[in-house]
Amino acid sequence: MRVETFNPNKDYGTPARVSETLVTVEIDGVEITVPEGTSVMRAASLANINIPKLCATDNLESFGSCRLCAVQIEGRRGYPASCTTTVDEGMKVTTQNSKLAKLRRNVMELYISDHPLDCLTCPANGNCELQDMAGDVGLRDVRYGYQGENHLDSEKDNSNPYFSFDPSKCIVCSRCVRACEEVQGTFALTIDGRGFDSKVAAGQDEDFMDSECVSCGACVQACPTSTLMEKSIIEMGQPEHSVVTTCAYCGVGCSFKAEMKGDKVVRMVPYKGGDANHGHSCVKGRFAFGYATHKDRIKAPMIRESITEPWQEVSWEEAINFAATRLKDIQSKYGRESVGGITSSRCTNEESYLVQKLVRAAFGNNNTDTCARVCHSPTGYGLKVTMGESAGTQNFDSVMKSDVIMVIGANPTDAHPVFGSLMRRRLREGADLIVADPRHIDLLKTPHLKKAQHLALRPGSNVALVNAIAHVVVTEGLEDRAFVESRCDMESYEKWREFIRDERHSPEAVEATTGVAADKVRQAARTFATAKNGSIYYGLGVTEHSQGSTMVMGIANLAMATGNIGREGVGVNPLRGQNNVQGSCDMGSFPHELPGYQHVADDTARSHFESVWGVKLDNEPGLRIPNMFDSAIAGEFKALYVQGEDIAQSDPDTQHVEKALRSLECLIVQDLFLNETAKFAHVLLPGSSFLEKNGTFTNAERRINRVRKVMPPIAGKEDWEITVDLSNALGYPMHYNHPSEIMDEIASLAPTFTGVNYDRLDELGSIQWPCNDENPVGMPTMHVDDFPIGKGRFSVTEYVATDERTNSRFPLLLTTGRILSQYNVGAQTRRTDNQAWHNEDVLDIHPSDAELRGIKENDWLGITSRAGQTVLRARITDKVLPGVVYTTFHHPGSGANVITTDNSDWATNCPEYKVTAVQVERVSQPSEWQQNFKSFEALQMKLLKGAADTAHSEVEAE
Amino acid sequence: MSHSPVETLVKMINQIAANNRAYEDKEAAERVASHIKRFWARKMKEDLVEYLDAGGADLDPIAKEAAEQVKNGRKEATATKQAV
Repeated sequence: MRVETFNPNKDYGTPARVSETLVTVEIDGVEITVPEGTSVMRAASLANINIPKLCATDNLESFGSCRLCAVQIEGRRGYPASCTTTVDEGMKVTTQNSKLAKLRRNVMELYISDHPLDCLTCPANGNCELQDMAGDVGLRDVRYGYQGENHLDSEKDNSNPYFSFDPSKCIVCSRCVRACEEVQGTFALTIDGRGFDSKVAAGQDEDFMDSECVSCGACVQACPTSTLMEKSIIEMGQPEHSVVTTCAYCGVGCSFKAEMKGDKVVRMVPYKGGDANHGHSCVKGRFAFGYATHKDRIKAPMIRESITEPWQEVSWEEAINFAATRLKDIQSKYGRESVGGITSSRCTNEESYLVQKLVRAAFGNNNTDTCARVCHSPTGYGLKVTMGESAGTQNFDSVMKSDVIMVIGANPTDAHPVFGSLMRRRLREGADLIVADPRHIDLLKTPHLKKAQHLALRPGSNVALVNAIAHVVVTEGLEDRAFVESRCDMESYEKWREFIRDERHSPEAVEATTGVAADKVRQAARTFATAKNGSIYYGLGVTEHSQGSTMVMGIANLAMATGNIGREGVGVNPLRGQNNVQGSCDMGSFPHELPGYQHVADDTARSHFESVWGVKLDNEPGLRIPNMFDSAIAGEFKALYVQGEDIAQSDPDTQHVEKALRSLECLIVQDLFLNETAKFAHVLLPGSSFLEKNGTFTNAERRINRVRKVMPPIAGKEDWEITVDLSNALGYPMHYNHPSEIMDEIASLAPTFTGVNYDRLDELGSIQWPCNDENPVGMPTMHVDDFPIGKGRFSVTEYVATDERTNSRFPLLLTTGRILSQYNVGAQTRRTDNQAWHNEDVLDIHPSDAELRGIKENDWLGITSRAGQTVLRARITDKVLPGVVYTTFHHPGSGANVITTDNSDWATNCPEYKVTAVQVERVSQPSEWQQNFKSFEALQMKLLKGAADTAHSEVEAE
Repeated sequence: MSHSPVETLVKMINQIAANNRAYEDKEAAERVASHIKRFWARKMKEDLVEYLDAGGADLDPIAKEAAEQVKNGRKEATATKQAV
């Protein structure tokens, strides 16, 4: 018997092993062949022989503490633990006999003698491994009684908002401690004390909330009893069914089992069968789903004539007709190009596809854009120019084969936590780490990190740094000439080589610009170039600059020059901020590209779309988001349909954005909540959360994952249905019965999606595009043999400094970012208990800058830039460099984007969020913008309440 | 902070030119023009040409040459369309 199937719902006890050497053993008379290094427990489990266990679970290395999994092996003495014993060729194992049964009963008897006998009222009742094992071993009596010394009065720790820690139920199996170490990589838990006094402790025996615990839930998932238990289970009881779906937060795209009671989510459990997360999760995906049923949800469509009038709740039909009539009237008055649409990267692929189709086919122009504009548009541009495909080259698992990991402008443990944990695992195994970031990110504090180099560069100097690294590679002869000569366009290479060899790019020459010592740059370049496998991971700290696209090309140049493309362990890996950034770009959301990155001016591609869509399409690009704002203020752009995006909070130079939104004659917002943008809207169409609809998300690995509906839409419609209704009302018919039909249409039009359909997604679990005749099950690693453009093209990457400069008026550089517990504009996470970790945005300032200004912790600080002013509390920290300040933008009243400027990437207009010259001083009151924000918010909440009151009185009158 | 739309366009094309300055002037102007043709909306191109026709005072030399190419490209496209 040779077993290769993998059942993600089964616990095989110990992790899988990979080996070309296979070993055949006989367990209870059954022969089974497994890879060398496999445990006896796993081998038995693969043969459907389930050995009792408590301290073993298959996402943790074996520990051998519970002794319940003892077996007998022919020719060996005693009763070895099957979890820690690996298979040997010809081994004969017995897992059940009277001696083993007695031994196991004795073990269980000891456990139960110090365990509360409250099974019927215990939250884990029905889903407790201890209970199951007591049943398995046939425990009928505890001879020791229950009166001896015990832990039954241990105090509960309820400090974490999402789970409870009840030490009275703990069997000290260490699964939670090991999960925190091996899976999450935080090392927040430990076993305190010895012998009978041994107990699980968070941090230095603190409450969970006060410890370093990041609330990822790995310990809760690992616990075989009710010791660590979700509070939702304690309140609601065990779920009765589950549905596998995809998280709606970051670009990792974790698979989860939504565990349900009827149409209520009891808990979200990371799904072991998910190829992006392999059963791990973070605090957002695991616990922060309560926003979906938050009282702030908009439950009925609403309209109003102007933004100073109360909202009126109306029927779907009336709202759609109101919106369609407004759009048609505006187009007939101001022209075809006076309207447009924006989607969010929180939308599914099918939703994004439909909105761009609506704009191109029903509006009759190409004024469609996506919030990827403001995060990763330079990735699309830079990777397309150099390697021919606007996407990352690897899967996440590839990092486990990296020898050097270079992280540039990214903070994976906060922004992509599950991948951050995987990266930490590889770092613990000994991979080198190079971080290029102005901040001392937490990855640099990875426990048991072997070697790390931190290039703490000045904000805005990325290109100078990457050029200097490449200069060292070229001038010290560290290139992979064989790769370059066989895989790259030599004309572009020679031009680039001549450019980069110039002394002005040397680490010494750019030291004054980057602030990084030349010898550190040289060392980093050598480390990267001489590694067997060097990988580059980057985030918004690369893209959100005026040279964002240049930097992406610089990264691609470096990867190609060192031959780090086309195999596992290497590659260029953009860490996408939101769940469907990759997908929204794939779906043709940009104004110049049809789905599948086909340019609107490409007559062949466009005619294909025209024949399928039955309409003539414009062959000129449309407006990008910032161009829409400018055009609105100029009085030319008059109506906008925004699905799922909160441009009033997330886009830079808030006062400019607000002015643009106020200039619109019709703003249609489709969202879960009355978000900041909706406060300027005339039509509010209530959207559906990821739990209420079907579709797909595509994560940072190009992995298309299914989103499955687990509850009916609260407002009655899935988002794609609303777009269909709007299109039909505009006179451009759309007919779909299910998002699978939309995906079928996408597959017929986008060459990289040809083989994608819902049946195949269900069959394979997920697919990394391209998926077509050549790659029927997708492609984990790209550019293995060649590039989509044939040869890789080097680009000359001149460093052009931003216009945003510090001076005596604005001496500090502000950079913005995000943190673990909150997500993007916070619309979702602010409506969950994640508020317990971060209920306001603060300004991080270095101690020396604080001292110079007489600033103390928690002082109110006025932060003034050339664009505006806002006020935040001070947090003094050496995580930032002297001269640099940092804040997040998760709370709208913080006004982080009031101070960011309208500077943007030269190629894509991606805003330069990461470099704003500011002055910081102590103040005593909120900024003028913040005061206006408060009064406008109060007005809009009153106008919203008016709608609710009217609807309520109408119901009462009926 | 905010500029008029045409000021924004001038800033944009000058920035594109600055980021292509490593190439010879002729190639740089071609690259800038090509970029604008591929990525700018119709109205933005029209406004650029209008600004150029009004003297293009704040256009950097490479940007100005690129704007000329954009203008000529649009003329040719119109002529071809009319001929068809």
